[in-house]
Amino acid sequence: MSSNPMRTIWAIFKKDLSIWLLNKRNLAATLAPPLVFLLVQALGAVAVGRSPVALVTLDQGPKGLQMQQIFHQADVFRITDATPTQAQQLLKTIQVVAVITIPADFTQRVDAHANSPVNVTVNNLNLDFTNDIRRSVPDAITQFYQAQGSASPIKVTLSEQDLRSRDVQLFQYSVLPTIVLLLTLSGLVTSSIAAAREWETRTIKEMLLSPAGRASIIIGKVLSAFTSTFLLGVLVLLLGYVLGWTQPEGIYWLVSLLIIALVALMSTGLGVAMGAALQRTQPVIAISINVAFYLFFLAGGIGVIAFEPIWLQNIAAFIPLTYGVHALEQAIFYSASDLLGRDVLVLSVCALVALGLGVLSMRRGIAS
Amino acid sequence: MIQRMLYNGRVIWACMKKDIKSALTERVFTIISVFLPLNFLILLSLFVVSGGLAPTAVVMQDTGPYAQQFYNAMAHAHSFALQRDSASQAEQLITAGRIVAVVTIPPDFDARIQSNQPVQVNVKINNLNTDFTNDIRRAVPLSITTFYAKAFPNVVSITTSEHDFYQQDTGYIPYLTVSILVIALVMSGLLQAGTASAREWENATMKELMLSPASRWAIVIGKMLGSFALSLIAVVVVLAVLIFIIGVYPVHWGEVIGFTALTMLIFIAWGTLLGTLIKQSQAFIALAFGTALPLFFLSGAFGPISFNTQAIQVIAQIFPVYYAIVLQQHAFHNFTLNTYGLGTNILVLCAYALGLVILAAIVLRRSTVAN
Repeated sequence: MSSNPMRTIWAIFKKDLSIWLLNKRNLAATLAPPLVFLLVQALGAVAVGRSPVALVTLDQGPKGLQMQQIFHQADVFRITDATPTQAQQLLKTIQVVAVITIPADFTQRVDAHANSPVNVTVNNLNLDFTNDIRRSVPDAITQFYQAQGSASPIKVTLSEQDLRSRDVQLFQYSVLPTIVLLLTLSGLVTSSIAAAREWETRTIKEMLLSPAGRASIIIGKVLSAFTSTFLLGVLVLLLGYVLGWTQPEGIYWLVSLLIIALVALMSTGLGVAMGAALQRTQPVIAISINVAFYLFFLAGGIGVIAFEPIWLQNIAAFIPLTYGVHALEQAIFYSASDLLGRDVLVLSVCALVALGLGVLSMRRGIAS
Repeated sequence: MIQRMLYNGRVIWACMKKDIKSALTERVFTIISVFLPLNFLILLSLFVVSGGLAPTAVVMQDTGPYAQQFYNAMAHAHSFALQRDSASQAEQLITAGRIVAVVTIPPDFDARIQSNQPVQVNVKINNLNTDFTNDIRRAVPLSITTFYAKAFPNVVSITTSEHDFYQQDTGYIPYLTVSILVIALVMSGLLQAGTASAREWENATMKELMLSPASRWAIVIGKMLGSFALSLIAVVVVLAVLIFIIGVYPVHWGEVIGFTALTMLIFIAWGTLLGTLIKQSQAFIALAFGTALPLFFLSGAFGPISFNTQAIQVIAQIFPVYYAIVLQQHAFHNFTLNTYGLGTNILVLCAYALGLVILAAIVLRRSTVAN
């Protein structure tokens, strides 16, 4: 006589969840890294996109002082006003990326419409910093000319249209891929270990000898791994909410929770499949973590997928996490449901496929 | 005294051999952990494979000479990966998230420029995050000043006169892959050593070791040497890919070998210490992987730490990863990333290595069979 399936599912669910909760080291090891990562991003956020430079103003004439003011107001640098000697020292001690010098005859030259170079000495360690300076100084120069209004010799102006209703800071932007990474990592690792452990410790024998149905065993295991993963994802989302980084509004809370649930379900299914196939915790951990990182980075990581080469964008189109990150971005940052149907469909299909694989793998493992 | 030394030498040799043999019984895990640093190199390089160029469609509604010059100015702005498209194609691409900006040069661009009238260039930006968006926002003014410098050098007199510290620019990939090499060394060392230590506790084989007359530090050194041997394979693979496939040739080969060995030693010691403290391989592996990413961002991987915020500067200098990155950047590119001097950076790493080995031995000594 087989036991009540609901009781079996509940028993397996409670058992696996208890094991997970009681292993505090494992819990800390799973939760700490994404939180530390978010903290690091927040700490470094102020410096992003604003290079430290030393500004030497040798010209005290009106145009020189105006240029100095423009550099300060442009908000593209973290400026230290310095004398030439101080500036050289700052450059030598790697405190600044560049020294910008407004020469002594700047006003004279500008008034005479003669060539008036602003000297820039750059510590060109790598193209990222160097190009930031190469972009930022001309930006300040165009602002200088724009300040002249209709008298400006620069007639080409920029008319900007933003696709999104608001700018999102880099550290805020990176919260959502971090949540998706956490969901994938936790789902894969937790469920694969929970599955593999049953074989490694031979407790699968007791389970099979019991009147518990096999479907109930599988569902119980998937449910417990899904619950722990989903709760972790919600926890980080709530933390982001409390810090003011990720604040979904109204119905988009439900959308966000739905996406988190789908990603958690997909990663859990995959993890169960791996755990049941490999049946050893050590290799399963290593493979799960590798797979999680590969999926994460091929979906664009914390970058913007549109910036990547076409071959990588094409690969990302086949990675379900791409759709998870997109849906979360739309819901949380823009309160929009742009392509939500597509994202939910892809994630749902992938979650079903992953669960199917998980069930098949468990059944085969049990049968063998 | 000499007998004691010989005995300790035998213990070290035995522990080393045992750990290598144990690792070889877990073939899947060992193979994965050998190739893991290479995976990190590949994956983290994906961050920068775009080279920081914003994929941008340019809609040339005017194809006159000034419009062409403006397009060329944009192409040389170090900021765009340009493609010419029609308005509808560009709109499709930006909506599909394939490009990040559409620049439209209006049909009367040339006429207005010639008659010295204002002309607006429309720029539609997929402003997903401010870091990328600001790069584009600044690159367009750069294109404007470059355009005027070529087309009307007497009109816009204020220009930039640039002098570079180093003779040639170093691409972002050659720079960043050296920093990624260090993180790969960290992962390799931590994983090999930490799991070997944690496994001893999980399998309770540590009991036999602790009940034996072998000294704790000899056990620790033996285990570390075993992990070192296994990590060496991973490191050789990563260095080979970095040098011969990615093409980043070191300026100082001796420094590369020396600093790599020193970095491996530190993180093998650290892994041994953590594995002994945590005593669970599952938790340890999750922690090792999970701390690699934050460490990577925290330790000046993208540039000198002095360019970052004060908080990050202070935190970074607590960890040996920072000093390892500084030294490897010097070894590969002859860059100086801090003012401590080569000697001081090396001394700091040596102090870390010694400190961690001693600490690992102390922790093992204080662990009891009851643990």
